[in-house]
Amino acid sequence: MIKILRVKGESMTPTVKSGSFVFATILPYLFRKPKVGDIVVVRRGKDTKNLIKRIKKIQGGRYFVVGDNPKESTDSRTFGWITKKEIAGRVLAV
Amino acid sequence: MRLLDLLPYQTVYAHCDVPCGIYKIEPAKTAAETVLKMVQLIEDLPKENPTVDDRNKFVRCVVTKEEHAQKCKEELLILWTDFFKPEHLKMFPKLHDTFWQAAKLCSKNKQTVSLEAAKELVSAVDEIAKIFNKAQKSNS
Repeated sequence: MIKILRVKGESMTPTVKSGSFVFATILPYLFRKPKVGDIVVVRRGKDTKNLIKRIKKIQGGRYFVVGDNPKESTDSRTFGWITKKEIAGRVLAV
Repeated sequence: MRLLDLLPYQTVYAHCDVPCGIYKIEPAKTAAETVLKMVQLIEDLPKENPTVDDRNKFVRCVVTKEEHAQKCKEELLILWTDFFKPEHLKMFPKLHDTFWQAAKLCSKNKQTVSLEAAKELVSAVDEIAKIFNKAQKSNS
């Protein structure tokens, strides 16, 4: 239930640097909803890459996620709001 | 080698696609204003007995008008299809029609030399600029 993930890319710098490992799990979201500030794994479709982003806004059950390094991030500013179904887990330790 | 390197892991991407979420209204505005300026310059050219230089300027103005009307259309389409999201439709219910009409005005300005059509295009892009600025604020 806990996955080890290796981060590739600079969109979460300086919080999570490229090449570092994080742990992620869906477990917390079985008991509570994702909240603003959570770093989450985003899976927007079966054939898309897993992304790591931070929840910036929540509105009407949808989530606006952005990178901590917005200059080098493709996120909700580009692909729009996401649903809870598209959140594959919460990043626990960075 | 770290212990973590030995454990099975998946890759998660903190990635950045081109164009990196950078959207600006300025290119469309400049292109629309260029179209208007070219129409004004064409209108100012002598209609009777034009010199070779007048003809040269006419051709250059038409080519520039054509290029910038096309550029304006492309810039608007990028904003329409890439920047604006379904949730913006709630804020701007006429969004699709506004872009559609502006794109049509780009074509009209390619087909004609019309001060009226050029001014309409500038106004249409100004209107889109207002919508774009509001939408950008709602994203921040």
